[in-house]
Amino acid sequence: MGKRVLVVDDDPDVRLFNTTVLEENGYEPLEAENGEDGLQMIRAEQPDLVILDVLMPRQSGIRLYRKLKTHAELKNVKVLIVSGITQKAFLRSQQALTEFGGTPVPEPEFYLEKPVEADVLADHIKKAIG
Amino acid sequence: MSWPTISRKPSGDGTRATYHESDCPMDMRIKKLLFVTKFEELGYDALETLLSLRKAFLEHIVFLYVIERDKVAMQRGVGFKRDEAIRQKEAANIRFIDWAERLFVQGMEVGVYIQIGSLAAEVAKAVQKEEADLVVIGRSQKSTLEQFYSGSTVTELIRRLSVPVLVYKPAPELPFAMGKPFDRPLLATDWSPASMRAVDFLINMKPLIQEVRVVHVVDQGSIEGSSAMQAQKARKDAKQRLEEVCARFESAGIPARSHVYVGDPKEEIEKALRECQATLSVLGSSAKTNWVERVIGSTPRHIAEKSFFPTLLIPPERRSNGG
Repeated sequence: MGKRVLVVDDDPDVRLFNTTVLEENGYEPLEAENGEDGLQMIRAEQPDLVILDVLMPRQSGIRLYRKLKTHAELKNVKVLIVSGITQKAFLRSQQALTEFGGTPVPEPEFYLEKPVEADVLADHIKKAIG
Repeated sequence: MSWPTISRKPSGDGTRATYHESDCPMDMRIKKLLFVTKFEELGYDALETLLSLRKAFLEHIVFLYVIERDKVAMQRGVGFKRDEAIRQKEAANIRFIDWAERLFVQGMEVGVYIQIGSLAAEVAKAVQKEEADLVVIGRSQKSTLEQFYSGSTVTELIRRLSVPVLVYKPAPELPFAMGKPFDRPLLATDWSPASMRAVDFLINMKPLIQEVRVVHVVDQGSIEGSSAMQAQKARKDAKQRLEEVCARFESAGIPARSHVYVGDPKEEIEKALRECQATLSVLGSSAKTNWVERVIGSTPRHIAEKSFFPTLLIPPERRSNGG
């Protein structure tokens, strides 16, 4: 069985695209449609990689990323952010939350701004988890 | 002017900043706001004026754009207008990404829904899914005649929701009302349970409020044919009850003044808003059905639809939440 990758995105078309790329490259995809469901699945399924959107209902990718990276058992879960939100805005938002009294979190290792080509996505997944 | 001390205590992950106020009713706090927009009537400038609500607990904004079903629905010879739905969805998405970036970098939490359906139904669904505490919508552009036939969105929302609805109208003709809607709210009370609930709501807004005006309109019809003594007694009774409401505000640290008006509530409330240079009208709303409202009319709906001022409608307490 291939490595497991959780796709957290509220757009069903994007989930379909990402899971298709994953399957074609030998990974096992899992899906969640918002940050809250995503966190539950990460706890339950412990995937090798999370492909994370930012702007979503219930809980954004910014909060989910922060929760992961400040959680003792989940902080090593690899995250590839794929979003229409720019990396610059993502980093500044994390800075703002840290300034409001939060724990500093590391910058994401992998960040792609939408739209993303299939081969670029596949390359980044491979770089992240092999 | 001095306010009682409020302590702001951030939590460890930086995602919560909570005011500790033992006398604030918990269920009326505005932590999450649902901002319903079609972009023409409510833009980012309007949203920015509402960010002052961060002083009073706001931490999460959810955007909702509804593609009206009849604009893209199946039509003879055309079918489902998929291209139009995609065009609207992508246009809305691009706008929301821009808005979200501006809010994220301020440490706000942001979410988004772009749905195809009827406005009132989609608002109700989003309120339920997100457990939103306040809905913000723009003023309806429909004429009175159109409202009679199609039903008012505001009326429909009030009927469906148990959370307050802010009908927001940036009003360039009222310079004192621009940019700070919660500065000087005017609470028009008819002593209904919803009006009294509005008092709790405004007490939660204390960090934003300079002064509250509390108004009751004695219906002209109720004192017609009465003696001068009876009319004065009606005024005195109303004033006494208003002073009791003011005392609640004052004891929570919010300056409050009371006013009695006589006449048609719809006209007198608008008059009071101007005379008091209010920045927001606040009214308790009943849960009348659409047809009742259409036949006998509704003061809250009239003010929400017609007034120049932003209008906050507080529904009565209901057993179930959301939609």
